[in-house]
Amino acid sequence: MNAIREFLRRLRMLFHRRQFQADLEEEIRLHLDLREEEQTEAGVAAAAARRAVYRRFGNPTAIKEKSYMTWGWAWLESLFQDARLAVRQLWKTPGFTITAILTLALGIGANAAIFTLVNAVLLENLPVADPKMLVRIGDHDDCCVNRGALEDGDYSIFSTDTYERFKKNNPEFEELAAMQSGFRFNPVIARRDGTDEAAHSVSAEFVSGNYFRTFGLSAATGRLLQDGDDVRGAPLTAVMSYSLWERDYGRDSSVVGSTFWINTKAVTIVGIAPQKFYGDRLWNEPPGLYMTIRSMPFIQDAEYVREADVTWLYLIGRVKPGTAVVPLQQKLSAQLKQIFSTSSVFFSAHDRPLLDRVKVRLTPGGAGIQIMQGSYKSNLHLLQWIAGLVLLIACANIANLLLVRGMGRNAEMSLRTALGAGRGRVVRQLLTESIVLAVTGGAAALAVSYGCTELLLKLAFPYSKDVPIHASPSPAVLGFAVGLSLLTGVLFGVAPAWLSSRVQPADALRSGSRTTTGGASLLQRTLVVLQAALSLVLLAGAGMFAKSLNKLEHFDMKLNSTNRYIVRFDPQAAGYATTQVGALYRTIQERFHQIPGMVKVGISSCTPMEEYNSDGDVQIQGQPFQYKRSSYIRANEEYFDAVGTRVVMGRGIRVQDTPSAVAIAVVNEAFVKTFFKPGEDPIGAHFGSPGPISPGDFMIAGVVEDTTYMDVRWKNHAMYIVPILQRTASDKRPIEKVGELYVGAIVLETTRPIGNMEAITRQTLSGINPNLSVVKFQTFDAQIADRFTHERMLSRLMTLFGALALLLASVGLYGVTAYTVARRTSEIGIRMALGADRSGVVAMILRSAMAQTMIGMAIGIPVAFYGVKLVQSQLYEVTTVSGGALGLAVGTLLVAACLAGLIPARRAASTDPAQALRAE
Amino acid sequence: MNRDEIPPGTLYLLILKTLALHGELHGYEIANSIQRSSDDVLQVEEGSLYPALQRMLIKGWVTAEWGTTAGNRRARYYKLTTLGRKQLALELSQFERVIGAITRVIQTA
Repeated sequence: MNAIREFLRRLRMLFHRRQFQADLEEEIRLHLDLREEEQTEAGVAAAAARRAVYRRFGNPTAIKEKSYMTWGWAWLESLFQDARLAVRQLWKTPGFTITAILTLALGIGANAAIFTLVNAVLLENLPVADPKMLVRIGDHDDCCVNRGALEDGDYSIFSTDTYERFKKNNPEFEELAAMQSGFRFNPVIARRDGTDEAAHSVSAEFVSGNYFRTFGLSAATGRLLQDGDDVRGAPLTAVMSYSLWERDYGRDSSVVGSTFWINTKAVTIVGIAPQKFYGDRLWNEPPGLYMTIRSMPFIQDAEYVREADVTWLYLIGRVKPGTAVVPLQQKLSAQLKQIFSTSSVFFSAHDRPLLDRVKVRLTPGGAGIQIMQGSYKSNLHLLQWIAGLVLLIACANIANLLLVRGMGRNAEMSLRTALGAGRGRVVRQLLTESIVLAVTGGAAALAVSYGCTELLLKLAFPYSKDVPIHASPSPAVLGFAVGLSLLTGVLFGVAPAWLSSRVQPADALRSGSRTTTGGASLLQRTLVVLQAALSLVLLAGAGMFAKSLNKLEHFDMKLNSTNRYIVRFDPQAAGYATTQVGALYRTIQERFHQIPGMVKVGISSCTPMEEYNSDGDVQIQGQPFQYKRSSYIRANEEYFDAVGTRVVMGRGIRVQDTPSAVAIAVVNEAFVKTFFKPGEDPIGAHFGSPGPISPGDFMIAGVVEDTTYMDVRWKNHAMYIVPILQRTASDKRPIEKVGELYVGAIVLETTRPIGNMEAITRQTLSGINPNLSVVKFQTFDAQIADRFTHERMLSRLMTLFGALALLLASVGLYGVTAYTVARRTSEIGIRMALGADRSGVVAMILRSAMAQTMIGMAIGIPVAFYGVKLVQSQLYEVTTVSGGALGLAVGTLLVAACLAGLIPARRAASTDPAQALRAE
Repeated sequence: MNRDEIPPGTLYLLILKTLALHGELHGYEIANSIQRSSDDVLQVEEGSLYPALQRMLIKGWVTAEWGTTAGNRRARYYKLTTLGRKQLALELSQFERVIGAITRVIQTA
């Protein structure tokens, strides 16, 4: 208690320092006056009286000082003095200060930005209650709707039936929730009832009734989904995400309880999810609506929800405290094997041996389903390394700058020491200067990192609205970065000061600056060499990534994207039955052809360079099943022309390929290569699914070239394309159950670019049916570009970092060379007086600058070769450092080094010998 | 006349006692009072009075207020607080213990 009061008194004094000084002054003057009067009254002469008074009192200045010190703020005062002096010193050398602060800001800022992204993407848990107790059954992404046995037996995605059995038989789980794996491919069409809102596409996820309870969440308003919502016959309900509620409905509380038409079915919104909750996985378009698994067959016509052999759910559970993971994992694996072995639907006779391999892996579920984490992990780690290298270069730069500065101030320090400054005081002053520099750099880095993180997010997730990642750097990251810069500053700022303060001041002052060897120290040169080496590695790396991106983008995808637009739509969501889609597709074709400038209107289940794939086993009639698969799509007769795929043999799809005509397929060249021997004529051959019933399903009518679907990296991608409405002879299902007849894409080819094509498309579709809304509209080019987002981000960042490294290295080289020149001014003067010509001096200075760069390159080149090996998996068809990229890197570095060396070299050459010698 | 320096550490005790006797005093008066009470034997190093007073202010043993002297001049008057009285008692007992011990040592010698 007393200590606090005491501190408060001290604090009050700190704020009233001036008053305090004045009071003390007055008090002491009074004392002295009174004593003097007393002496004078006693008859002492004035001068003698004053002497006696002072003798008796002591030194008033010292006393005042001592009184002041009593309050314990002297350290703060001198710190302020030091800081003020430091700022003045830095202000006097703006070149040095700006360079140092920029170096720190860029080095630290870039790092903080990358680490912020890494932290948000890789390390952060879901914003749910007690994420540590969440466990995921499964360890990888097997999206989205699968059938059949897995080769490796490691299951991560499960059927509704399996989920229910797991939930019932494992009391270790307090709660076990299930969630749709592939929600991103199936947005719904939603419209609020009783408003003039247009039907629009909303991302929606189907989850088990206990989903929100498992995560321990409570509603922002209304209620969340409950078990009662997830039973057969329950009224259709949905929970809206907070961000959708905020963005589209301005947090209107009447949304809760209101009816929405979702895929033309009436659904009641029962509540709003918590503000921070973005679903069970990090994704660039988080769900806007959450609905129950039981409602999925009604809303999305997804029959597979009820089929025991179709796997489509991810599982996350909350385990009871003290549950051991390993026994639970063994138990679940055994249960899964049991489920599979007692049912005939999962494993065909051929797959029976795979049953032994069946297992599940339990992984931490606190971060949810880590799909994005998986896809960004290697990229982010690489970027972390690169940013680390840049920081290293930045630190080397700061070290160099401070060393140069410190040595340049040798004389000043000697003078101070000679005038009586203690070594501690001198070192403290320099320390303060370094700290002021580091703190300023740190503050600038904060700004840079905010900007950089925004930029990174834009690069990583272009076009997405609700990325649940925020640009604010985490305090830990900034703390680390600023700490590192402080350390560098302190280490390299104080070392020269310490060294110079040990020298006898007289010696230092006498020796002056006349020297031939006193150029940059070995340490400085080493730092420059290191910088050159690192920046060469980064530049070469940037070249490799640029080359990789270039190769990807200029890969011949065997398509034509000029004046083409891709429209995603969803007839099922718009309320069409499978019996009606034929008429719908014809209407769409007709209506779009009425638009002036329209050339082709292709309709298909999927388009080239889109993240979407359906595939299945294929057997050629008359041949044994080879356990090979092929992707398939449905398309109308205009589709091949619309995307620019050329027919190389036979024919394409024709109008005559109606449901009543013979079922045909057009296959691609890879299909022919996969399933036929060389030289064999595929035209007229039949194929189908393996087994006795359907191998004659399709007759091959033509062959098309290998247009790229999914990914440029997917080589020899066998595909077959079937007419949009045809069904196979072996398919005995009633037409209502044939969900494949719903397709999702329209490809428009126009004679010229049409600026408002999107608006025209929306009008045309809603003119057919107001519920036919556009799920996604893009130019074909944009769709293709989207598939290279990762690569483009990497390439741009590598270039950015490479340029940054080059800049920093050049600054470092310049600093050292300039310093050398300054130190050798008189030497150069003598040389010139003795007859050295200008070019000789320039050459001499440049030679030493270039030597350092060359050594750096000699170290950097093998490192670059080694580095490319490390990142090869992230490059496309680039296996080693190419001559071009390396040449470019070497050239850039040489030019930069030349520039950095030439400026001081020219300054050296313009030295006037007489002046240089007189300068001391 | 020969004057003795006060023993180290007893300056606080002297100031506290002086203030306890006289109530409010300013620095000059404190110095004079100590000198007079000790029959001119104890000479306060007058300057050192002030840092000591500052420390006592921090500790909260005394408070200071500006007032006017008899000669109509502004002066800072110091006054004991309750805490100061307690401190005085503490320092007195401590001092007596030490002096007692020293006396015993001297007398046995």
